[in-house]
Amino acid sequence: MYDAPANKQSVDQSNQKITARNVQVFYGDKQALRDVSVDIEDRTVTAFIGPSGCGKSTFLRCLNRMNDTVAIARVEGDIRLDGEDIYHPMVDPVQLRAKVGMVFQKPNPFPKSIYDNVAYGPKIHGLTRSKSELDGIVEESLKRAALWNEVKDRLQESGTGLSGGQQQRLCIARAVATGPEVLLMDEPCSALDPIATAQVEELIDDLRQNYSVVIVTHSMQQAARVSQKTAFFHLGNLVEYGETGTIFTNPQDPRTESYITGRIG
Amino acid sequence: MNVGILSIIVLALALCGFVVGRNRALQSVKGDARKLHSLPVYHGQTVALFVTVPAVLMMAVWLVAQPMVIEARIVGQLGDAVAADPVASKLAMEDVSRIADGLDALQAATGLSDDEIGDMRSDLSDIRGRLAEVGVALGSEVRPEIFSMAKSLRGMQQTGATMMTALVLMLAVGGLALGILRIEGDFRARNVAESFFMWLLVAAAGVAILTTIGIVLSLFSETMRFFSVHPASDFFFGLTWNPQFRGGSDLGIIPLLWGTLYITFVAMIVAAPIGIFAAIYTAEYASPRVRSVVKPLIEVIAGIPTVVFGLFALVTVGPFLRDYFAVPFGLGTSGSSVLTAGLVIGILNIPFVSSLTDDIINAVPQSLRDGSYGLGATKSETIKKVILPAALPGIVGAVLLATSRAIGETMIVTMGAGAAAKLDLNPFEAMTTITVKIVSQLTGDLAFDSPETLVAFALGSSLFVITLGLNVFALWIVRKYREQYE
Repeated sequence: MYDAPANKQSVDQSNQKITARNVQVFYGDKQALRDVSVDIEDRTVTAFIGPSGCGKSTFLRCLNRMNDTVAIARVEGDIRLDGEDIYHPMVDPVQLRAKVGMVFQKPNPFPKSIYDNVAYGPKIHGLTRSKSELDGIVEESLKRAALWNEVKDRLQESGTGLSGGQQQRLCIARAVATGPEVLLMDEPCSALDPIATAQVEELIDDLRQNYSVVIVTHSMQQAARVSQKTAFFHLGNLVEYGETGTIFTNPQDPRTESYITGRIG
Repeated sequence: MNVGILSIIVLALALCGFVVGRNRALQSVKGDARKLHSLPVYHGQTVALFVTVPAVLMMAVWLVAQPMVIEARIVGQLGDAVAADPVASKLAMEDVSRIADGLDALQAATGLSDDEIGDMRSDLSDIRGRLAEVGVALGSEVRPEIFSMAKSLRGMQQTGATMMTALVLMLAVGGLALGILRIEGDFRARNVAESFFMWLLVAAAGVAILTTIGIVLSLFSETMRFFSVHPASDFFFGLTWNPQFRGGSDLGIIPLLWGTLYITFVAMIVAAPIGIFAAIYTAEYASPRVRSVVKPLIEVIAGIPTVVFGLFALVTVGPFLRDYFAVPFGLGTSGSSVLTAGLVIGILNIPFVSSLTDDIINAVPQSLRDGSYGLGATKSETIKKVILPAALPGIVGAVLLATSRAIGETMIVTMGAGAAAKLDLNPFEAMTTITVKIVSQLTGDLAFDSPETLVAFALGSSLFVITLGLNVFALWIVRKYREQYE
């Protein structure tokens, strides 16, 4: 189980973006997550690693209440974003998701033009007052997702016509355009080839300047490359959480060590 | 020997062949099934197929061909004058076969031998009376030449049946022998059985296609006959529909086409929005439990016979619209109206639209919904901006398919919209459609080759072309945009 000391040392209270305490998730009768407590820092990349079915994606989806769209899912415990309980009855999950953006495992651009894909979030949230302002957001988001130079001449073409790596960067641009504070990424590179993966990883590192990024990954190399903090999940438990360097070089828990050395998984 | 017994014999031979073939295959490798190319059961199947397929095919061909051959020979014997006139030869053939049937019944009832029947003569004995005793009524006295034709017809039928039995049995036994002789360890019986099943499936598909082609050909040949007795321009551009018993009718399709399109338009105004909204509810909002109840309930509508809908239109909707809308607003006094039929056809088509749309919405990948929710879109925003645009081609296809169904609807129009062919804009007026007129022109007492009857085929062809065009268009749309989100 996660214990406090690893965390207390360097992190001051104001730097914590999301605090989760004793989170339990049930799918019907099955408990998918047990007593997970984590503090996620601002302007940091936090990686969730662990074998398949360990609950890391489930936990990620708790952070923007995407589990609400699954009828049989039930979440208990306390998750706070900037100190506010996101499961409070007064919180509108729709507004929460505008603040906590999400990028999915498989690139899922809408069957619309590249421009409309990026403009989707700003339009539904009424973030712009004029067409030129919207054009500005679209351009800035595509630049931030390192896609602008590849698509600037064909913004009106369908987003589904891009390559897999471009599609995933389009999805990141789409998430960035809404102006989120936290970006959740659920195995964003698992459907991409190594070159596209490298581009997305570089992008994640850039995004750290402005956002808190949480990334779920199966690749420990990826976690080591892009993250500053790593959490290891196993069988629905958070086993260990700490600095990425520490987790990979000096794990405290024997399960973590077995996993990163490839003995379980 | 009749066809039933013959079939049973062939099947029994096939069963024998199956058992013998299987055992012989095993024997050929001294009981070690691993040395066979194919499992023993395939060897059995192959022998059974060798027995049945040629025999049954021969039987089928013979049964179709024999009456044609016999008819040609009988008509030939009746003399050139009769043979040259298709109507006369048809009538004569009907007489001959009725008397032949009568003689069969007479023989069954009285136990006369074939020789005694052969000695009967229509000018000496009272054939009409004797046939009436066994339940075969003849319209007039039997002419001697017809009677002798009937006797020779019976003779030919008997010879034909004997020959068919012999041939079929020969083929079956020959197939059995051939099949058994070919069995050895290396014989690829599995491949033979495999290709047979492929051809069986091809034949099944072929039947469906050939039937369609047959229907189209007969429709168009009759249409050509109509256009040879009635000018095509009058039919396609005539603004009056007024068939007369004594000829000289106005047979313009325009009023019927107008009625058809008007009623279909009203029907789709009802069916498309309600069906699509219902589908959005069942696909996106309803919980699985509600959905499992609501969806079948909507689809029950599709199971109600259209004539019941017609009654509903006639006794409920029609009078309601007349008493509460048409009469107070001074728009007419007719119980049957375009609006009545359109409303009821629309209701009939709701499950059709909603069921197809529901499937299409469900086919939109969950990842698109997640993507939209993940950006903070609400459910209705997601549906409006992501799901419906992605599903739109499919929905258009569904609506067009429902439209072609509405165009072809007959019963509800007959009972709800009346039979008056009119060109009018008032939806409370009675109008009628192409399908209704096809029925009424074909069920009249007019001669079959008069333009008033043949026009039904021209109407049918027009309807066929319209609905075919709509269906092709719908499929084209569905196909063109289908891969968009895959």
